[in-house]
Amino acid sequence: MASPQVHHLFHAPIADHSFSSDRQTLAVARENNVELYQTSGNKFELSDELKGHDKTVTSVDIAPNSGRIVTCSQDRNAYVWEKTPSGWKPTLVLLRINRAATFVRWSPSEQKFAVGSGARVIAVCYFEEENDWWISKHLKKPIRSTITTLAWHPNSVLLAAGSTDSHARVFSSFIKGIDERPEPSAWGERLPFNTICGEYLNDSAGWIQGVAFSPSGNALAFTGHDSSVTIVYPSAPEQPPRAMLNISTRLLPLNSLIWNGENEILAAGHDCEPFRFQGDENGWQLAGSLEKSTGAGAGPREESALNMFRQMDLKGQSQVDTKLKSTHQNTVNTLRAYDEAGGQVRSFSTSGVDGRVVIWST
Amino acid sequence: MSQINYRTINIDQLDPESSANFPMETLLPPTLPQPETSSDAANVATQVRQLLRGGDTEGALRHVLDTAPLGGDDRAKEVHMATVIEVLQGIRQAEMTRVLEGVCASNGGAERADCLMKYLYKGMSSSGSSGGSKNISPQATGFSQIQARNVGEGGGGQQMSVLLNWHEKLVELTGTGSIVRVMTDRRTV
Repeated sequence: MASPQVHHLFHAPIADHSFSSDRQTLAVARENNVELYQTSGNKFELSDELKGHDKTVTSVDIAPNSGRIVTCSQDRNAYVWEKTPSGWKPTLVLLRINRAATFVRWSPSEQKFAVGSGARVIAVCYFEEENDWWISKHLKKPIRSTITTLAWHPNSVLLAAGSTDSHARVFSSFIKGIDERPEPSAWGERLPFNTICGEYLNDSAGWIQGVAFSPSGNALAFTGHDSSVTIVYPSAPEQPPRAMLNISTRLLPLNSLIWNGENEILAAGHDCEPFRFQGDENGWQLAGSLEKSTGAGAGPREESALNMFRQMDLKGQSQVDTKLKSTHQNTVNTLRAYDEAGGQVRSFSTSGVDGRVVIWST
Repeated sequence: MSQINYRTINIDQLDPESSANFPMETLLPPTLPQPETSSDAANVATQVRQLLRGGDTEGALRHVLDTAPLGGDDRAKEVHMATVIEVLQGIRQAEMTRVLEGVCASNGGAERADCLMKYLYKGMSSSGSSGGSKNISPQATGFSQIQARNVGEGGGGQQMSVLLNWHEKLVELTGTGSIVRVMTDRRTV
């Protein structure tokens, strides 16, 4: 296992990050703007800024094929950015929400994207050729609180959402004329817009912070503020799930998770390091941290005599222990697949409150 | 018009969309046990006392945590709380780790640990407010090593130091996750 590649971009929290499919461009949400970085050698260099939002940008996503970037912000707007010879051009999306937009993700088909919001709706947005703009349809019922996270099923119709009402739900976001009729699955057979295909609540409740479908789409994992990960295996439409497994951990809460194959989940959060969960329908468990046990810390720590005396002189102590032993020095907000083929994740990236983007190999 | 002071109207309560009207019962899982009454809780207390008298402290703790009235009314919860405190105080400090490991290791142990953590926090919050009658210095309640000295000082302080001892041992075993779950879990004890 190679050691993680650390890119310390700046000293400010990163709300969300996204790599382009060729992994040359990195989009990072920093305060009211989105910064675009290009790789040069082993480093990332700031190449462009997407300015347009006038409040904190909460989420950013680059479509792998079209290269379009979608951003959303607490100013209740979402923009789709397209690259033109004269720079990135934003198109305003008609979200029709009266609270902050919290989370945005492109569907795998890239025909749609979903925006979660504090207005207790999910805006499913698609492009309308006639009027030449992005419009939205709202998923409303039975959401009782802010949507914190979203994840798309591989068929681009089913959408999983986590909310601060402690429920993880699976909705149909089928839009006539945009989507092809999906294959029937354990989630449902007929799937008109706003069909609720599943609604799940942990025993210990807690705001849901991360959701993800397994690569096949036949299982759903979610994690919440109760420091647990729950995996749901649906049985048949309208039936209770075949299995719903809850792993309550001894860790601080996890914020984000992805699947690596059908039998492994990678998750990270307030403990500042990624963890691996393994299992199948019969049981899951925490397999351990991906951080090396020694924990190199954010940078090599000098232990020379000179350094010791300098520390004693400057701070009146011989050792500074303000650094965590993990690679990230603060909460991890987002965990995403970086290098993935056929559902197997070879490496993944994390970003967090410490302004670092770290690429890990699994 | 002069009858109502419009500035003091709590408009959040009139707005069905407001977060003040969030239906908290939607956060309770369907697996919640049947509501219990205080007489059920009193029966449990008798059983637990028998176990304690028989010297089976581990069994007593296990039984009292398994029968927690998660769906019960306030009175039942109060009675059960007193039973839990009695069990916790009945176990010597040297035995705590062994008993905890026994109770938390077996099947369903994680739930028992979370349940115990809820009782510890509830105990700490209630003994803090009721302990005002005696002149307990705040320091005496904060450090476990003072336990031996404040035996005669009053119920609140001693109870607090017992709870803190349990808290320390339980966190060693179940980590911070269990504390976080006390905050999120709506199945209160």
